[in-house]
Amino acid sequence: MTLVGSKKSGLSAALDGGTRRRTRRTEMSPLAMRSTQLLLTIAVLGVWELSVRAGIVDEFFFPLPSDIFQTVWLWVSSGFVFPHLWVTMQEAILAFLVGAAAGLLLGFLLARVRFLERLLDPFLQMFNALPRVVLAPIFLLWFGLGIWSKVAFGFTLVFFIVFFNTLEGVKSVDRVLVDNARMLGASEKQLLRHVFIPSALTWIFSSLHISVGFAITGAVVGEYLGASAGVGYAIAQAQGVFDTKGVFAGMFILMIVVLIIDLLVNRLERHLLRWRPTQSS
Amino acid sequence: MWQKSKASEKRPRTSGATTRTRPTKRISSDKKRPAPAGKSAMMPAAKADTPTYAVELNGCTKQFPTPGGETYFAVRDIDLKVEPGRFVSIVGPTGSGKSTILNMAAGLLNPSAGTVQSFGEPVSGVNRRASYMFQQDPLLPWKTVIDNVSLGLTMAGASKAEAHSEARRWLEKVGLKNFADRYPHQLSGGMRKRTAIAQAWIVNPDVLLMDEPFSALDVQTRQIMENELLQLWQESGKAVVFITHDLDEAIALSDEVVILGAGPGSTVVGSYEIDIPRPRDLLDIRDDPKFVTLHREIWGRLKIEVSKTYETAMAEEGEVA
Repeated sequence: MTLVGSKKSGLSAALDGGTRRRTRRTEMSPLAMRSTQLLLTIAVLGVWELSVRAGIVDEFFFPLPSDIFQTVWLWVSSGFVFPHLWVTMQEAILAFLVGAAAGLLLGFLLARVRFLERLLDPFLQMFNALPRVVLAPIFLLWFGLGIWSKVAFGFTLVFFIVFFNTLEGVKSVDRVLVDNARMLGASEKQLLRHVFIPSALTWIFSSLHISVGFAITGAVVGEYLGASAGVGYAIAQAQGVFDTKGVFAGMFILMIVVLIIDLLVNRLERHLLRWRPTQSS
Repeated sequence: MWQKSKASEKRPRTSGATTRTRPTKRISSDKKRPAPAGKSAMMPAAKADTPTYAVELNGCTKQFPTPGGETYFAVRDIDLKVEPGRFVSIVGPTGSGKSTILNMAAGLLNPSAGTVQSFGEPVSGVNRRASYMFQQDPLLPWKTVIDNVSLGLTMAGASKAEAHSEARRWLEKVGLKNFADRYPHQLSGGMRKRTAIAQAWIVNPDVLLMDEPFSALDVQTRQIMENELLQLWQESGKAVVFITHDLDEAIALSDEVVILGAGPGSTVVGSYEIDIPRPRDLLDIRDDPKFVTLHREIWGRLKIEVSKTYETAMAEEGEVA
């Protein structure tokens, strides 16, 4: 800036700098954006670390980020966290698979059979209105401390999201596409395969993103309330001995795992919905 | 008479196709449409007494209950007979139930009263002998152009390779052979229409039901598409029922123009034979003296229905106000 300013008159240099800054802001390269994000992270963590060290924030409630990462590293390097993570993942995956499958199946069924939709609608609305967390204690009683009470709990969270999205997705299928496929000789099964499922996929995927998160939420909350293993259990144990570092470390590990899973779902979505026009063009 | 000449026309045309595509065709028509296979056996018998029509509506009425508890008549007592190989247009003012008639012929809609027959057989469920070209875009956006075109064949059980080779032949016919792997959203409106034409024709239907297929296109593209449609039809011997609100288009394309009365509860008010010789050149046909005379005559009748529709609409508006 100063170099340019020395060569040109002050006004033109200011204008020049202004426009250049504006174009840079709108067309920031991915690399520059990533570096800025990294800087922001370092700044936030740095302020946190410093204010704890300076005694402004109580270390008991907000442990040092460096300590948290140390705990994370300890949990990972000692292998302590992996059995817990494995249990949590088992519960989440089972809850997700069973919940999504049931949601898809019932969603398609009710969307295609008007009678069933009208019959079951009030009951589904009732169960959906129930805050699901209150089910956790009863599931603990029914299914015990093992993984199945968490699977059942995660199921109730996943099922409704997938179900309502599938129902809406199938019902909003373009009438012309259905009629056209029928005129071309489609059977009910072929209609599902060629028209309804692909058409509902957009809706289903938007629900998958949320329901993957909910499956893990279900597992962790279930473990927190009563379990003998799992990341939620590990967090509850750490909290029991006032080990806030452990609580934060558990949160951090869960966050990373959910991010990775979401990335995979995104990849799958991009592959399955590759026929869609891209938003930008 | 018609059936016989049609059958004899069809055979040389099929054998004229390349040997590569012939087996595909036979498999597809055998598996998907049992009716055409039985056609040759049925036809001579039917020919003896009454003529069979490609589409025959007898006294068809369609009514819907309105939210207010009343009955709304979309169409009333429709009689329509389309001989095999004929190009028949249905013209009528807005709200005269043109699409309702076509949907009944397609079997997508059941008449409240009356019967629908296709080649002497009552239509129950969708009409297996017919293809439908919709006003709106019927292409599946998640399938490529070639998968869209071969859909009818693959669903009938043809292998993907067979279906694709036949689809490629059709894409070449409609001038899209370089666009086989595109998705519909990557095509222009005209190209999507061509794809839809290929999709509807590849299953080799005996009747084509077209619901204002070109109304969304600009005027020039539309004339080109009409010309191409006419060329395809002329060498095919298929019956066409063509819906339009454009009298010019109807006269230019058809053997017969049917006029519908003002809705609701409209019915057929007139039928006109269009004896302009074929092949026709649609780009010049509007100056043809025969075209002008016919247009004047038919428009004289249609005008009455159009102004009735307009007056009803105005009266309803007045009631509301």
